[in-house]
Amino acid sequence: MLVPLYGFVAGDTLGILVLARDDETIASVAAQLQRAATVRVRPRARVRVLARGAVLDPAATVSASGLTALDRIDVVAAEEP
Amino acid sequence: MKLARDDWFDLARKLDWTYGYVGERDVFPEEASGAPWLPHDAWAGWNEPFRTTYAEYVATQAQKEAAVHAVREAVGRPEDFQRHDRRWLSALKLHAATLPLAEFAATIGNLRAARFARDSAWRGTALLGALDELRHTQLPLVALHDLVKWDRQFDWTHRFYHSNDWVAIAARHVMDEMLLAADPIELAVATNFVFETGFTNLQFVGLSAMAHDVGDRMFETMLKSIQTDEARHAQIGPTVVRTLVAHDRARAQRLVDKWFWRHWLLFAVVTGFAMDYLTPLAHRRSSFKEFMQEWVLDQFARSLADVGLELPAYWPTFLESLDWYHHMVYASAYTYRATVWFDLAVPGPDERAWLRAKYPASWDALDPVWERVAERWRESGPGVEWYTHGTTPVGFCSLCQLVLCGGTPARNTAQVVDRDGRRYIFCSEPCRTIFEAEPERYAEHRDVVKQILAGEAPANLLELLRTHFGLTQDEWGKDVAGGDYPWLRR
Repeated sequence: MLVPLYGFVAGDTLGILVLARDDETIASVAAQLQRAATVRVRPRARVRVLARGAVLDPAATVSASGLTALDRIDVVAAEEP
Repeated sequence: MKLARDDWFDLARKLDWTYGYVGERDVFPEEASGAPWLPHDAWAGWNEPFRTTYAEYVATQAQKEAAVHAVREAVGRPEDFQRHDRRWLSALKLHAATLPLAEFAATIGNLRAARFARDSAWRGTALLGALDELRHTQLPLVALHDLVKWDRQFDWTHRFYHSNDWVAIAARHVMDEMLLAADPIELAVATNFVFETGFTNLQFVGLSAMAHDVGDRMFETMLKSIQTDEARHAQIGPTVVRTLVAHDRARAQRLVDKWFWRHWLLFAVVTGFAMDYLTPLAHRRSSFKEFMQEWVLDQFARSLADVGLELPAYWPTFLESLDWYHHMVYASAYTYRATVWFDLAVPGPDERAWLRAKYPASWDALDPVWERVAERWRESGPGVEWYTHGTTPVGFCSLCQLVLCGGTPARNTAQVVDRDGRRYIFCSEPCRTIFEAEPERYAEHRDVVKQILAGEAPANLLELLRTHFGLTQDEWGKDVAGGDYPWLRR
């Protein structure tokens, strides 16, 4: 099942709508978001994904991470707080 | 004996009588006339500082029309516009689309006030205001839509408000509420007091000066002609606000807070783009932020103090957004330029140096975006528009309907809110607050993302802009130089 998410890549100027599969890993969603923002932000090799103030496990799936339709996720550089 | 001019005005503008055969509430029901409902005595002191008779109005307007049309005859042909920088033409297309049909909606709003406003002098001023707005509808249509025979993008002078383009959705969201649905009290606060007195009256002065500098005599003359009308009918605002403050100060403050923020966002997009990106560097007199500080902020703060109101609670957020918001929307729009009806430009090294000097608090965080865009153009070479263009749908604010460009590139201020089983996203805290104050007014509006998810609009970007936004390939926005900038080749 597809889960639409609002994604924000650190350094970008706007929020992007990303359609993630519920069995897709957080790392994959982050990569999808970085590709969507690549015309404005150079992709980072190491990132973290935040939702509701918590860091998500990159190996966990979208559904296991508790993300539901139109949640907000943030992709930030790995070293950022 | 012939009356003195001021005595004649008082005789001709105060025309209400006491109703004996119907109730005052029947003549002016609250739903149509606005809240708080007050007996006429409370409004009887309504007074416009600058007065005009119908005869004076007609004579003055005839002279102004003649002047505009004389300039159009001289320098309003397509070949006159072809001489302008392509960026300036984009600024023209942006204003040409957003202005005329909104002005027609203002005609309707003023006609409503001409019937339901609570004092005869107010109604008379609103009636002349309606005629002004009809003129402001027709002037840009006649001067700019005519250019469609040379450039298809000028078709959006008329077509914009009929489209589902995202900018048009955002503009309609504001204009429908303010001009078509608002009662005369809210209309006077939102339009005359906040929008005209606070923003457009002075914007037209600044914009006409910019048009003069770039040598666009047609646009300069049109704006000056419109501005003199705005200055007259904007005076409806303060006198309405004073009465509102005297009887319901909280409502007055709430309306001012709501409408300043709503106008700010749209104003930043239209005027911010024009002043900081679409006016050729050599002709820029000041930055958009400097213009706001010099012409809008001080003046608006004084206007609020004059009527006994305070600056909105979100003022620090607003002041911070002067450094960020229009820059973030412009960079976003550039990389989604096919979703609009005008062309956009990459700021070159000289322009970026100018922007850095004008925006020292924000440019370090914004410049990498343009460095990345330039890098992509270098990789692709000129003409490959889609290599520097987004392909994924973007998010839109559930209140302002504009793209989620709040905050900074490091910290976007978008907020997701669950309410009555539905999920909303707001670009900023003020948009969220405005929504939550009147959820019944906004909750049913579906932004572009909600339309996509409901199957009412395609998720594929090309299909979205073709079938939903109504753009064709020869109309949608492109890079003004096709990526072929001399500074990119160095």
